[in-house]
Amino acid sequence: MNLLVCVKQVPDLEQMAVHCGSDGVPVIGEPSEFRMNRFDEFAVEAAVQLKETLAEVHIDALSVGPEAALAVIKRAIGMGADQGGLLDTGDRADPGPYEVARRIARYAAPKRYDLILTGSWSEDGMNGQVGPMTAALLELPCATQVMALQLADDRRSVAVEREVEGGAREQLQLRLPALLAVQSGINRPRYPSLSNLLRANRQPVEIIPGDAGEKTIDPVVGLGLMQPPRHRSGRVLEGSLEEKAAAFLALLKEKAFIH
Amino acid sequence: MEDRADIIVVADAAGDRVDPVIYEMLAFARRLQTLAMGRIQIWLLGEGPQDAAWEVARLGGTDVTALCCPGLSRYLGEAYRRILEPALAAAAPRYVVTVHSSGGAEWAPAVAARLEAGCISGVDGLGTQDGCIWFSKDRYGGKVKGRFASNSALTVLTVQPGCFPFENPPEENRAPEAAAGRVTIKTMAWQPEQTRLTGVIPAVAKAANLKDAQIIVAAGNGIGEEENLEWIHRLAEGLPKAMVAGTRIVCDRGWLDYDRQVGVTGVTVAPALYIACGISGASQHVMGMRGSGFVIAINTDPQAAICAEADVCIVEDLKTFIPMVLDVYEKQKAKQNGA
Ligand SMILES: Cc1cc2nc3c(=O)[nH]c(=O)nc-3n(C[C@H](O)[C@H](O)[C@H](O)COP(=O)(O)OP(=O)(O)OC[C@H]3O[C@@H](n4cnc5c(N)ncnc54)[C@H](O)[C@@H]3O)c2cc1C
Ligand SMILES: Nc1ncnc2c1ncn2[C@@H]1O[C@H](COP(=O)(O)O)[C@@H](O)[C@H]1O
Repeated sequence: MNLLVCVKQVPDLEQMAVHCGSDGVPVIGEPSEFRMNRFDEFAVEAAVQLKETLAEVHIDALSVGPEAALAVIKRAIGMGADQGGLLDTGDRADPGPYEVARRIARYAAPKRYDLILTGSWSEDGMNGQVGPMTAALLELPCATQVMALQLADDRRSVAVEREVEGGAREQLQLRLPALLAVQSGINRPRYPSLSNLLRANRQPVEIIPGDAGEKTIDPVVGLGLMQPPRHRSGRVLEGSLEEKAAAFLALLKEKAFIH
Repeated sequence: MEDRADIIVVADAAGDRVDPVIYEMLAFARRLQTLAMGRIQIWLLGEGPQDAAWEVARLGGTDVTALCCPGLSRYLGEAYRRILEPALAAAAPRYVVTVHSSGGAEWAPAVAARLEAGCISGVDGLGTQDGCIWFSKDRYGGKVKGRFASNSALTVLTVQPGCFPFENPPEENRAPEAAAGRVTIKTMAWQPEQTRLTGVIPAVAKAANLKDAQIIVAAGNGIGEEENLEWIHRLAEGLPKAMVAGTRIVCDRGWLDYDRQVGVTGVTVAPALYIACGISGASQHVMGMRGSGFVIAINTDPQAAICAEADVCIVEDLKTFIPMVLDVYEKQKAKQNGA
């Protein structure tokens, strides 16, 4: 049984500073650190758990991105994936969900994976599109926000629980091959093991260059960033730590939350 | 022959009633109409959405097509894909609008990919720039918003709930009969081939009863380690009728039970006071607490999205700030008692 798990490299958002440009347009500082999209750790863990409980499971970890994204592929191998592939985007770090889905679909189509796993969304792009788009392009059944999955004994279908509004769950049965976008909380992602990391460093990752001849049309184009509108005043308390603590308590008293 | 629509609002009418969020989608479509021109039409999908169609046509004052899909008693992604891909290809609108719900977020990108349409998920604003219509959405954890424009003949948009209030609340201000839209009824044959809905597990009874709390002290990923949850509990203990809640990340880690999770996939709360500790303010979380009376955010990052949702921001490390608050509070109380 062949599994594909899609992992994206994202900037560490906490380290990423946003400056206000002269015209009020926010400017994002060069991210200093990158890591695996947090939601994709759950997808890798779900794949590795299937491998641990079932015989003859092979996991490929795939990322679409610049060469630096090799780091997240290695992390996926460190967690237990068997092999890695990078669909190189050259200097176009993030070509957008549609192009990413097209490239994943083109890579996956001849390999006939039984199950493709993605995360529910990427922390930087916040789209949640790549999973459903890839499934649609490959004409695979798809479920998003998956919080539980169980393979049928005959390995021809998978039963899933899909989380919806308020935490209710829809129970679905999907024919294999299928694509599942797993939701955070489905499992507790493990840390990469030392032996797997050593293997990841030894083992070559297949790097597939972008098709230079092909002209891609972006169905969506970015027109830049803007400041989020304020819903509340967000008054910032000033002063030393102790002064702020006193001001916080004074505020709670003024509002009659404490006496 | 029915009239061509430029903007089609697609909504789920499989349940007993249509989610009133449809009127927000309509409000969005009307804003879009002022920029893009053209006609608006609503499509309702369900087993028998005829009654809902008449109601929405009357309250919304817009033409509605009821797509009767035998067997579709609840949203099913495959059904939406099979029905909407050919139907939208034939109708050829310029825009498709749907709510950014667990269903909309799933089928919209899929149908868009099949139709080579531009797809923008989680839209919360729109406008024009150099003659181009843009749609805004969260990026980078909500620290900033991105503006996106579509390059395609068809654009599929999933729109955040809570961003586009319907100007005429449908219950109070019903459109006069004359302004009601027309209703068209169509039967759509479809067969599930790949997926089957086998059941629904209702949301767990909310044991924690967060909804009853006067004050909520909520912990986010910024607590860093499970043991720092202690500070959140101690702060809550010092406040009357206060309960501890958390973000999805904190619950995913098992640091709090899921009945304490605030947000779209958790509980929606509206306490008099909400203290957000180490919470970035992602839209899925904010949607669950936006109705709070007063909001205080404690965050090391003044640019965190939560600061735009808070009345007061305290830019501090919660691990030093909360102990200091408890300390000052103790001293104040000791002084009061001594006096
Ligand atoms: C389909 C779907 C449904 C979802 N449903 C929900 C939901 O119902 N509820 C929900 O909460 N989330 C939900 N999420 C997840 C949501 O998108 C965010 O990932 C999540 O809310 C972020 O949690 P957080 O704010 O705790 O963590 P982070 O985003 O990691 O933010 C941590 C914050 O803490 C600050 N910080 C760090 N250290 C400190 C410190 N020492 N002191 C003070 N501040 C500090 C940082 O500056 C940062 O702003 C959902 C996601 C998806 C895709
Ligand atoms: N560049 C990428 N490379 C590999 N997988 C990706 C990439 N972008 C998105 N994905 C996958 O698609 C999911 C949803 O991403 P998005 O649609 O960008 O929010 C992620 O959780 C990943 O599993």
